[in-house]
Parts: sequence; structure tokens; C-alpha cells
Amino acid sequence: MRVGVYFCRCGPGLDGQVSGKIDPGAVRGAVESLPDVAYFEVVDFACADGGQARILEHLAAHRPDRVVIAACSPRQHEDTFRRVCAQAGINPYLMQLVNIREHVAWVIEDPERAVDKAIDQIRAGTARVLHQEPLEAAELDICPDALVIGAGPAGLKAAMTLAAAGRGVTLVERGPILGGLPVRFEEIFPTMECAPCLLEPVLGEILHGELPGPIDIRLTSTVTAIKGFLGNFDVTIATSPRHISVDACVGCGMCIEECPTSVPNALNLNRTTRKAVDFELFGGLPNVPVLDEAACTRFTEGSDCTACLDCCPVPGAVLFDEVATATEKKVGAIVVAIGATIYDLSQVTRLGYGRHPDIVSSWDVERLLAANGPTGGELLTADGRKPRTIAIVHCAGSLDADHVPYCSAICCQTAFKDAHLVESKAPGTQIVSFTRTVVAPGKEAVDLYRHAFDGPHAVERRYHHPGDVEVRVDAAGGLAVSHATGAGEPEVTEVDMVLLLAPMVAGPGPRELAGVLDVPTDATGFFAEHNARSDATRSPVRGIFIAGTCQSPMDIQGAMTQGTAAAGHALSELVAGRTLRVDPATATVAPDRCSGCRTCVPVCPYQAIDVDGWTLKASVNSVLCAGCGTCVAACPSGAIAGHHFTDDAMHAEIEAVLHA
Amino acid sequence: MATKPKLSVYWAASCGGCEIAVANLHERLLDVEAAFDFVFCPCLLDTKKQDVEAMADGSIAVTLFNGAIRTEENLEMARLLRRKSQVLIAFGACAAQGGIPGLSNVSTAADHLRTIYLQGPTLDNPEGTIPRRQTVVDEGVLALPGLLDQVSPLADVVEVDYTIPGCPPESHQIWAVVDAVIRGVALPPPGSVLGAGASTVCDECPRTRGDKRIDQLRRTWEIDPDPDRCLLEQGVVCVGLATRGGCGALCPQVQAPCIGCYGPPEGVTDQGGKMVSALGSMIDIEPLKGLPEAEIVARIDAIFDAIPDYAGCFYKFGLPGSSLKAAVAARVGVSAQDDQ
Repeated sequence: MRVGVYFCRCGPGLDGQVSGKIDPGAVRGAVESLPDVAYFEVVDFACADGGQARILEHLAAHRPDRVVIAACSPRQHEDTFRRVCAQAGINPYLMQLVNIREHVAWVIEDPERAVDKAIDQIRAGTARVLHQEPLEAAELDICPDALVIGAGPAGLKAAMTLAAAGRGVTLVERGPILGGLPVRFEEIFPTMECAPCLLEPVLGEILHGELPGPIDIRLTSTVTAIKGFLGNFDVTIATSPRHISVDACVGCGMCIEECPTSVPNALNLNRTTRKAVDFELFGGLPNVPVLDEAACTRFTEGSDCTACLDCCPVPGAVLFDEVATATEKKVGAIVVAIGATIYDLSQVTRLGYGRHPDIVSSWDVERLLAANGPTGGELLTADGRKPRTIAIVHCAGSLDADHVPYCSAICCQTAFKDAHLVESKAPGTQIVSFTRTVVAPGKEAVDLYRHAFDGPHAVERRYHHPGDVEVRVDAAGGLAVSHATGAGEPEVTEVDMVLLLAPMVAGPGPRELAGVLDVPTDATGFFAEHNARSDATRSPVRGIFIAGTCQSPMDIQGAMTQGTAAAGHALSELVAGRTLRVDPATATVAPDRCSGCRTCVPVCPYQAIDVDGWTLKASVNSVLCAGCGTCVAACPSGAIAGHHFTDDAMHAEIEAVLHA
Repeated sequence: MATKPKLSVYWAASCGGCEIAVANLHERLLDVEAAFDFVFCPCLLDTKKQDVEAMADGSIAVTLFNGAIRTEENLEMARLLRRKSQVLIAFGACAAQGGIPGLSNVSTAADHLRTIYLQGPTLDNPEGTIPRRQTVVDEGVLALPGLLDQVSPLADVVEVDYTIPGCPPESHQIWAVVDAVIRGVALPPPGSVLGAGASTVCDECPRTRGDKRIDQLRRTWEIDPDPDRCLLEQGVVCVGLATRGGCGALCPQVQAPCIGCYGPPEGVTDQGGKMVSALGSMIDIEPLKGLPEAEIVARIDAIFDAIPDYAGCFYKFGLPGSSLKAAVAARVGVSAQDDQ
């Protein structure tokens, strides 16, 4: 085989970044005497246009079987020289770039030793390149449409961004309305903005706007199966019956008036009731009620009640016979934005949640203070009294190794907001805040922060360890907060109400969906990122993106930004009409050597390996494979080879370095 | 009468188990005898070295050479039989990869002599007598072959045509090869492994297997394993997944982990390295995430501390044939006795 070696001086004459340390004249003899080397050619700036043209011309004239370019880091110019080879009609994977700049010239002081090391490296690259095989990148057709799972702030923003770019979007939401958590809240930190109003323009665009891309909204739906890979996912969507046609219903609410069945309304802490057919939330969009099969007597008792149907002014709006359906869709990318939940405070027994109706969570208090809540927005205890003193307990279960080890980042600001609301809705109420570590980052948080502790009725008490604060319920139903200060007996504060700031947790959602998506979750239960710093909205699986609080606790601003970012990833990875280029430097399984031991399956960070249920042989999906080589190293049977990084090539390289 | 092709079976540094495996052909030995002229086998026949020396070069059709190359005598016989044989087969784990004798490569030959003859706790050797290559006695000079400084597989000292692995090779596999030769079936290209599979022991193991997440390694006496589930997933270090198949997964079927006697599978040069690499990929790190660094190191160390002897666990049959080869650099041609 004939190997052509090019030596880049990285500058003119003996003043280049490489040639300043490594004299190509001193290297030439040793390289030319290597058994397969056909020639040794020196170039000033190989990467510059002139240098590339020179190499191209030389390659075309000499037609070597393999090419070694001794220059700089492959991270900088491997692609450049691969292109040059391709232009010369040489398969780009038959070129090896040997890094004699960063690995030699820049790091070796003594020129003689630098020459020796450069010769070693070129010898190794030459030995390796003989084992390299021509590889061809595959081109796949793609579907440019996207699936968005979850219609909270992150999902809505992703759907809107994708549709604005003309992409077809399927928006799947488990609940019957759009908007996620904020539409269930009234005002949000840091500026006491109206949350539903904030989402209104986004919801308006999605429901009634004229976005260039069609949005197929699937409410009361979940994704039950996903097959395929970036550009070619087949998804199955299961829809449970709403029994009220979203298309036909005009939202007049007459059916609600006439429905004879009432049940406790869990959304309002069971302090109000709702009808068997009712709005999920007054003002929620789409403005269409839901007939709840768990409440309606037609379903619970098999009655023949037709009250809602009889009064409905729109034909075809009430659909008693609607059944669950499953539909399939093809999409190219998936944005997962399924949100989070808050920690189950009843686990933190010292805080008394669940033992007294006036010990409430930060989510409960959102409903207690909401205009469409149980008291019409007035702050009252469960037995209808105006509270004189309220305790606000920060870090209820967070930063606590026994419960939630991390800080969930948003609860402090929620507490400040709640304090502000209490003060405005029930002026004069004494607010005692038990804080541990106050987290109020960003340019806007400081106003609410000051307000929370500076008011005439505000008291801040610091505690240090999770166990320092306890909520006591006495036999008469009195509430008190006991606060251990470290000196003497604990201070006890009698209060009428306790508000606990529960940390945000992943809940069961990510783990449940992880099985469907093959996207891993991390130790906290949130989805794992491709890279938590630089690529937090990409999952490790190509084509599946994660946005909002299913990735990490975050505020609404963060969630909406992530929704847009995830949409941006999807847009840049899948451009309509463009094909998907699959890098051929992937792993491949030799089926006759594979014993199906499954060692490779869990080590793949990209979920690219499947084991056939019948033959028990593993196979690597070359579209999902990123060529990292983890499975190649892990495979104990020698059945997996990494294209372009074969054992033969690497052994040859190592041996050539070691045996001068 | 047409002369039958000649067959020889030789043992170098070995235990005799390979000869037992040949004997276990039972009545098929008659078929072997009918097809071959069995000319040399120190375990079974009276022919001597000088009889072999007297044969023409290349006059033996097939030699099954078992045992590792431990002594100068092993080396001499390997060279002699190579010269006399058309087809030389490295037969059994010791000839193929160094085998159990190869574990001695964790020390030097000089160390072995010192430990065995001078330092053993049960020794009574006040004069410090050790075996010598030449000892003069009244009747003349007694000679012993010298120990080579390290144990080698057969292929490291002479050219080998084929390898039949196993400790010992399974008799049905021996028969399959012999039968193929008798019937004149074309043999695969030289250098191939005969009488074994291309995949691993797991391929033949009936136990069910899932994704591997190991939180604790267990020695065989510490656990009564579930007979239906992969032993490795239960924490027992079974090296079947880094071992060439062909044995029929005999050990795992009787609750014993595979110890690797069939050597590395096709395409693997370093069986132990592969096993260590795979095991490193299987340790369940989920519970370790988020722990302080020192704690992570301590917990992982605790898991691997359950392996008392890495060489004996991962390179039981193949240290000299692996990329590690030996604990010390070879001093080729220098025998241990010369060192004393």
C-alpha cells in the first residue's frame, strides 16, 4: 500500500508553529524509510485555501492508497482534510490526521526530542492508516414534524415556536385543558404578574392563531409507545374520552347547571364541589367541560340520566358513547415537557401536613387565594376564620438528606409572593417566616424579597437544620411552630395557619415516560440531560429534547426559555427537504460472535443498542449511535467493533509508537 | 498396503488431562487407530524421542501438542515436533494460552526456585540444595532441563497451524476435528481455532439474562445462586461472557461459574482485560451518584475487594497468551538455574 504523508509547517519556512520546533528536514528521512510511505511532502499552511489546493492537486497527481497529514488537532481540521480527500476522490476515512502541533511542537521544549516524537507519531499514524477502511455516510429521509408532550409553559412555547416555523406539531396533554400549572395559579413571582394572562397570547395563538404549521392538539391523552429514531419516530397516542366534543361545544355551561351529581373538588382542597360534568377550571382553555366517568352516574351506577344531553343547545356536543382511542403518528423529533410536582409533605412528619386542615402546602395556598378558589379569593382558615398569624416554613423537606437532598430553587420566591398576597388580601396578618437559606437570584427577585421581611407585620426566623422546626397540633386543634435555636428551650409560636414551601420533585412522570422514550432519568428522578451545562434541553437520545421542570426545578421564565430552546434544537436538526447524514464511525455487532450477554445495553448513553427477543443478538442502531466506543470496550466477547476505531488499527498505532 | 498418516500426541508443561480427554474418545479410539498410525505419545506409547528424531521431517501428519513451554526440554520438543509434523495443533489451554502453569508468570523462575526449594515452611534443606542443570555424581553427570524464565504458549516458540482450546478440550470436540481430518474435510485457514465456537460460553448457557447491574460481587461459597438466572447478575464472577464457547457451558449448568478455560473468543486478544473492562461497565453506579468522591472510591473498592486474586480470576488459563504475558520482562534464553 502507498501512504502519502503531508507535513504542515503551520507557517512559512522554519518559522511556522510546527516547523519552528520540528524541522521537517530532520523528520523526512525517518518517515520516507517507513515501509509503506510513498512520499513525504511539506506544506506551509495546509488548512489555508492555498494549502488545501496544493494538497488536492498533489493527491490527484499521486493517488496514494492512504493519506497521513501531520498537522494540528483533529478537533480543528479533521473535517477540513477529510473534505480535501473527498474532493481528490479518496475516501475521507482513509486519511489520518497526526497532531504534531498541540501534541508535539507546543509541548516539547527540546527540538531534538520534538523531532523524535514527531517521527513516533507519524510512524503510528502511518501504521494505523493502513488498517483504516473506506466508510460511507448514509443519508436518510426525515419527517420534519414534531411531537410535544405536555402543554404547560415549556410545551406550549415549544409547540408555538415549531408551528411558527411551519412545522406540523402534535401537542399531547394528559389533562383536559392547556396551560399547565400557571393557569391554576393567579399571580406569579417576581413581579406579581397574572399567570393566566401571561399565557393568554400563547394559548390564543395555539388555539385560534394562524400559525404556518398545523397544531394537532390531543387533550386527555398520553404517549404510550415510541419506536424509531431522529427523523423517523412512530408514536402511539392514547386518548381517554372527554365525552364532550371540543369541536362542537360552545362552552355555555348549561350542562353544568343541569347535572344532578356533585362530587368534592380536589383542585380546591375538597372544600368546594364540582359537577360530574364541569369545567376542569373556570377560565381554562379550551372552554369545554369534561364529563368525569368517575363521577357521572351513567358510568358509576349505569343510570340512564341524560340531563346534560337534554339541555345542551348544540347537537353532537355531548358524546356518552365516546371511547378510548389509540392513534399513530409519524414525527421527526420529540419535545418532552411533562412538568414536575411537589414533594409529598406528609412524608415530613414533623411538619404535620395532613394532620390539620390549616397546615397547607404552597400549591394549596395558590387555590386558597385564587378568585375561582373555595373562598372566592379571601384568605380564611378551614373553619372560616381570618387568620391572625401565619407561619411560612421554607425548605419543607428540601436540602434534607432524608427527603429531598437538593434546593429546588423556586420555593423562596414563591414564599415571598405568598407573603405579599397574604398581606394584600388580609392586611394586618402577622407573618412569621422560618427561613434556612434564602435563594433569590436574578435581577428581579429583590423587590419581593425585601417586601417579605421588611413589612410591619413580618418576622424572619432563621433555622439551621431540617429538624429545628416542628409544627405542633394540640388536642384542641391549636397550631404552633416550635423552633430550636440552639440555645435553651425551643421557641414556640402559636399560629392560625402554617404554609409549607414544598420542594419541586420529578414525580412519577419522567420515570414512567422514560420506559416509553428510552430516555434515562437521573438519581433525582428528573430526566438526564445530554450535558447538564451546555446542552440541558437535549436528552442523551438523539431527536428527543427535554424542556421545563421535567429536566430540573425551574421557574416559568426558565421553562418557557427551555421550550423555545428545545424547539430550536428540533428545527436545526430536522430541516424539511434535507436528509439526515449519519456519521459512519459507529459501532457494529458481529452477530456470530454476540452471545446476547446484554453487557452493552445499559452502558450505551444513547439507547442505541437493542437485543433481539428471538435471536438474543444485540444490534446497534447506527442513527442513534454517536460512536463513543463505550460498548466496544465493554463487550467481553469481542463482538462489537467501532468503525474507524478498530482494535487492529489501534493496536497497530500503539505498537508503532512503542517499537521504534 | 497404503501407509496410514502418522499421528502424535505430546505433553509439555501439562497435567495429563489432555491425554485423558483423548482417552475419553472411548471406542472411537479404534476409529482413530484405524485411520492413523499413532506413532508417538509418551503417556500411552513406548516410542522415544530418538524414534521421532529418526523420522523424516514432515513425516507426521498431525501432532496434538498439549502443555505450555516451561522448560528447555519443552522448547526442544516443540521445535522437534514442529519439524516432523505437517500440521501442528496447540491442543488444550496450556499450549494455546499458557494455561494454569502460565500463572507462574506472576513471578520469575528464580523466585519460584527460591520459594519452592529454599523458603517453604515445610522444608528441611539446610544445605540449600536446588535443582541444577548438571550434577556430577560418581556414576557420571546428571542433567536436568533448565527452567525458562517465563512460560509461553506454543505459538510463541514455533509456528502453530491450529488451536484446539479447553482445559481439557471436550472429547466430542476432539472427535469432531479428528473426524473432519479422517473424512478429508478441508480445514479452515491456518491460525484458526478448531473444535470450539466463535461466540462465548453465554451463547450455550441456558440461564436467563437481563441487563447487568451488579451491586456486590460474591465468591461461590457466599451464595446459593438462583439456578435459572445469569450467575454474573447474581454477583458471582462468571467469565463465560469473555470465554470462547464450545464446551456446552458445562460449569454454569452445575451452579459453578465459568473460569475461562476455552480462552478468549474470536477477535479478542486479552480475555482477562476484556472481562475486567466488562465488569467495570456492570457495577451499579446509580446509588453512588451524588456521594462524596472519597465515599464513591471506598464503595467501589469494597465491591472489587471481593476478588481476592485478579490473575487467578481473570487470567486463570491465559496469562502468557494475553497482552500482559508476564510480570517481568522476558530474559530470553536465560534459564533460572544460571541465575543462581
